[in-house]
Amino acid sequence: MKRRGMNDVAVLTASAFFVYLGFAIVMGVIPGMVLSATKPLHGVVPLTAQEARGRDVYVGEGCSYCHTQQVRPLEQDRVWGRPSARGDYAYATPQLLGTERTGPDLTNIGARQPSDVWHLIHLYQPRALVHGSIMPAYPWLFEAKNRTESGDVTVAVPAGYGPAGKTVVASQSALDLVAYLKSLKQAALPTAAPGR
Amino acid sequence: MQDVRSYVGTAGSSGVVEDARLLSAYTITATLWLLLTTAAGLLVSFKYSYPDLLTSPLLSFGRLRAIHTNGTFYGWASVAMVGCVMWVAARSSGVNIRAPRTAWFTLWMFNLAAVIGTIGLDAGMSNGSQEYREWIWPATLCFLIAVIASGVVVVRTVAARAGHEIYISNWYTIGAFCFTAILGVTAFLPWYQFGLGQVAVQAFYMHNAVGMWFTFLALGITYYALPKLLNRPIYSYGLGVLGFWTNLVFYPVIGAHHYEFSPLPWWFQTLAIVFSVGMLVPVWAGSGNFALTVRGRWGIVRRSYALPFIVVGVAYYFVGSTQGTVEAFRSLQAIWHLTNYTVGHSHATMYGFVTFIAWGGIYALLPRATGKEPSRVAAGMHFWFATVGVTVYVIVLSVAGTQQGVAWANGDPFIASVEAAAPLWLGRAVSGMMMFAAHVVFAYNVWRMTIAPDRAAAHGPIEVPA
Repeated sequence: MKRRGMNDVAVLTASAFFVYLGFAIVMGVIPGMVLSATKPLHGVVPLTAQEARGRDVYVGEGCSYCHTQQVRPLEQDRVWGRPSARGDYAYATPQLLGTERTGPDLTNIGARQPSDVWHLIHLYQPRALVHGSIMPAYPWLFEAKNRTESGDVTVAVPAGYGPAGKTVVASQSALDLVAYLKSLKQAALPTAAPGR
Repeated sequence: MQDVRSYVGTAGSSGVVEDARLLSAYTITATLWLLLTTAAGLLVSFKYSYPDLLTSPLLSFGRLRAIHTNGTFYGWASVAMVGCVMWVAARSSGVNIRAPRTAWFTLWMFNLAAVIGTIGLDAGMSNGSQEYREWIWPATLCFLIAVIASGVVVVRTVAARAGHEIYISNWYTIGAFCFTAILGVTAFLPWYQFGLGQVAVQAFYMHNAVGMWFTFLALGITYYALPKLLNRPIYSYGLGVLGFWTNLVFYPVIGAHHYEFSPLPWWFQTLAIVFSVGMLVPVWAGSGNFALTVRGRWGIVRRSYALPFIVVGVAYYFVGSTQGTVEAFRSLQAIWHLTNYTVGHSHATMYGFVTFIAWGGIYALLPRATGKEPSRVAAGMHFWFATVGVTVYVIVLSVAGTQQGVAWANGDPFIASVEAAAPLWLGRAVSGMMMFAAHVVFAYNVWRMTIAPDRAAAHGPIEVPA
């Protein structure tokens, strides 16, 4: 029996395959390639090795499920900084724009909270600093020690939030993550040259 | 009890038994993933209200969230529906599943992918927190092989059919395998995705995974199971074909509506919004077609344990997808974008639509395959827990998302948006418990339909008194 047109399974499969292949190239691959070539804004620099390790911690712990890194050109986003520009993301791979903002946007967190001490306490137990915060605590990025050694970065956890009689010491992962968070600062947009 | 062959009416009995074993095995493993990954989702939902609950890296919010989303997508919904569509391909073509060994291999690959992906995520290994493609590459590779191999099984089965026409279900399912093979490769290859380019690919990927894989599989199952259960033909074959082509042409363009107001080119976002409106055509064609097929047969729906799931699934297909069109408008995204509203929408579609159709498909097909009936009481409990649970869930998160968005628009301090949503998050956790209870009951019924001792046989043949 001769089967013609879409009742030929080869025609049906090939039609579906090639029509969608066209869409995948036009809507996925080409935009991906074109936008991947975006030049960095002036002042946007690659991460240091430590900051990049910190970003791996950020990814592995799923921080971007609650924290965006995109400032929208909307009135309510002005608190987070200027609207994000394409060149802001030239070195941001993996991209961490996020799709939910259960916690604050972090585009400019390095400028808003430049203190290591704040970040370390906050990561150890957010509720020690922000009443009403629902951010998870990350005690596994720290170590509770009876006796500190030289070179240890101790964390001054407020009384009642840390282990009694022990000192909280930041792990390398915690220090890397804080280095990454502090690197998140918006570059200033170029302004008109003085005198013009 | 009736012979298995009388349910399916095909030639080789050993082939039918093999088909039934495949459908059973796919359903059982999918159900295990459903239980595991929705338990993860349930725990995560409680962490919104009790953030210091079970603080441990292996049970942390950021890791379990990805385990929940990827596991429900690729461990549960994909495996459950691929099992169904293989069966549908064989029965609608009047043959047995071709290449059953490939079908078994596919099942192993799907499960291997889910095991690797889940363990990796729990160990803090994520493919860059890119939503719905967080599994590390070995897991993704296994999944992609499974998609292609199962596509080969379905295409070969349909190619061996007895009749002339390819039944419309198989259009949708063959399409789903073709699209997802391409989509998977597009998303998988990292060498052209940097910075904002990766955002563009992510926008394309995350929505197409939903629309070109799950939607097409679910529609394929519905086009088979609904007429079968009602014992009447589908209202319009032409509307089915229209839905196929319009879905194929409109869906690939709408992904960027997940990144409205982002630095992606503005026209690119606008194009996505325009095509989101175009999506009304396939959605209304499909759901209207199903509704007109059910029309006047509500008595059959009431007496069936499978049909109510399909009816609710179709209703959520209509409501959830129409909602998706409406919320894509910029005026509404300005409030709802980045809030819990999106999470409510994704559960309306991936749970209310896709998961309900998967359940309806399993209840429709599996008893016919194995000759073992589920408990009707349990099926009723499953249905009502899941229906009430997901409906409360969607409403509660839609309100929570609106509160968050309004708090931001008011210029309140950020913590006000957390406090406004807090009571609703507790409501979400409670509705999540109802949904999880439904899954436990469903698992019992899967056991009844597959490996449980055959009750009909256990009673023995009815003795006729001498």
